[in-house]
Amino acid sequence: MRRAFKIYRILVAQNLKRLMEYKADFLTGAVSFLIDQAIGIAFIFIIFSQIPQLAGFTFEQIVFIYGFSQIPKGLDHLLTDNLWCVGYFIVRKGDFDKYLTRPINPLFHVIAETFQVDAVGELVVGICLMIYSAPSAGLYITPLSVILFVLVIPFSALIYTAIKIATAAVAFWIKSSGFIIQMVYGMNEFAKYPTTIYSNFIKLIVTFIIPFAFTGYYPCLYFLTGENPVFNIGCTVFISIIFLGISLAIWHKGLSAYESAGS
Amino acid sequence: MISVNNLRKEFKKVIKDPGLKGAIKALFRPRHEIIAAVDGISFEVDKGEVLGFIGPNGAGKSTVIKMLTGILTPTSGSCTINGKNPTVDRKKYVKEIGVVFGQRTQLWWDLPLVETYTVLKEIYEIEEDRFRERMAFLNDVLELEDFIRSPVRTLSLGQRMRADIAASMLHSPKVLFLDEPTIGLDVVVKDNIRRAITKINKEEQTTVILTTHDISDIELLCDRIVMIDHGKNVYDGSLRELKRNYGQMRELTFEADSASRLTAESFCKGLKLSDDDISIKNDKNVFTIRFNSDSMPVGDMLNYTLSLTRVKDIAVKDADIEEIIRRLYKEGADKSE
Ligand SMILES: Nc1ncnc2c1ncn2[C@@H]1O[C@H](COP(=O)(O)OP(=O)(O)OP(=O)(O)O)[C@@H](O)[C@H]1O
Ligand SMILES: [Mg+2]
Repeated sequence: MRRAFKIYRILVAQNLKRLMEYKADFLTGAVSFLIDQAIGIAFIFIIFSQIPQLAGFTFEQIVFIYGFSQIPKGLDHLLTDNLWCVGYFIVRKGDFDKYLTRPINPLFHVIAETFQVDAVGELVVGICLMIYSAPSAGLYITPLSVILFVLVIPFSALIYTAIKIATAAVAFWIKSSGFIIQMVYGMNEFAKYPTTIYSNFIKLIVTFIIPFAFTGYYPCLYFLTGENPVFNIGCTVFISIIFLGISLAIWHKGLSAYESAGS
Repeated sequence: MISVNNLRKEFKKVIKDPGLKGAIKALFRPRHEIIAAVDGISFEVDKGEVLGFIGPNGAGKSTVIKMLTGILTPTSGSCTINGKNPTVDRKKYVKEIGVVFGQRTQLWWDLPLVETYTVLKEIYEIEEDRFRERMAFLNDVLELEDFIRSPVRTLSLGQRMRADIAASMLHSPKVLFLDEPTIGLDVVVKDNIRRAITKINKEEQTTVILTTHDISDIELLCDRIVMIDHGKNVYDGSLRELKRNYGQMRELTFEADSASRLTAESFCKGLKLSDDDISIKNDKNVFTIRFNSDSMPVGDMLNYTLSLTRVKDIAVKDADIEEIIRRLYKEGADKSE
């Protein structure tokens, strides 16, 4: 464990050095991210200029859910961004070879290799929106809820990671799975709003199949109302562990299906 | 040390007809074809041996190396190295081996070369003193000094290859797998790399398995060769044996007036040779006689042939190592047709 930490630190440090060399990359990333966020927030403003409430939630409460949902997303983005590359080209080009010939876990190695600073944007936006909306959102604040707030975030982030691992691993069979990651990952948009506004079918999907609702709406439901911590928080933890387990099993199977590329 | 047993690897290929129509057809009714890239390979390697693993393009060499290094999982058969199974004991196993694929780098593209080595030092848990000593050694044989501060992406092919070889030797592996380590290099760099391989083999009894298309690599480095073709073993033995077995064969080529008495039987009888020592091919009265010069001196063979027939354009060729290998490759190709 200590060793893993040390290797992680070293790889990240190298990554930051590299980043300094590609400043332009960083800037374009930041700009496109800001535009994306601005559109998302403007969307909420527009909805609420038409109606006073959405599925029983006030404007501030919706902003809080939106802000919260950015935190797990940002954390996962910060730490595991290289999984996209696994799906898009590392496997297809046979560049995955080198991870298999080094004495550390290949998944850890490939994840540790990038540290995506762009994600700071999501974290900052998320925190700002939560601070802005918290005073008037009517939060349910008890010692327990504060502890659960801190505790649930890493598990929500794990849901993102698990989904990315599983979809990236599909590349071991079909060579390139970037579009699959893209498609499934895109479902996270649903996490930002109450599931009650969706049809039952979509609700079912974002709760149990691609459980992004646990990265935003459900935990927030508890923080806003204090209702049903067993489902809203407990299930978040439970589902993230189950999904991580499944995705690791898929990944592991994928390794033995990996075909490299001719050379 | 290394034991490879009836190793087999199949790849599934989707057959697509050309064009958009073919692509759509393949999408709805995919047709698969299974190709056996490696089709029952077996061999053993002792500790400290340098094995030349050769074969024509597409023979399956890289695929075998990838199975031995744990990158690919065999379809069937087994390989054990130092008692370990590469894909099962991966973490422990890869610590004991070094791997270079000449066609692609294992280094961090954007990092200066030195940094790459410090990262590897952590990954392989090399101690500080040992690391310094090792770097000095590698610097010395592979002459890394000139470009060790440059980012890997700026290195020339020869520099990059030396850097990759150094990276593979950094943690003093017990076995070194080198897939075409001299591809595209000039003579000086080739020498450099060969020197590094020889040195590490002599000083540390490192076992080396190396694939190459450069015959001098084999002559200079390898104790033994294993030749494969179409995924099957073709030859396994020392270079000397190969020369002994095939090297004494000579080829007599000439055009003759009459073909009647020029048969293998008549030569065997007339010269008291066995069947293995001679073979005769006749292509529109151009004869090629291959014979073993140990059993029959070239002069005697010439005399005897001339006593049988009148000839035009006679030539005698002997077989050098490249010729032998070309012939073996060609025999493999003919056989599979
Ligand atoms: N990832 C792969 N998917 C499908 N087929 C493959 C793959 N890798 C190799 N092959 C096929 O397997 C056969 C053996 O390839 P391999 O790369 O092992 O040959 P090689 O002996 O290394 O040849 P070369 O000397 O050209 O490098 C070839 O027919 C190749 O097309
Ligand atoms: Mg090859």
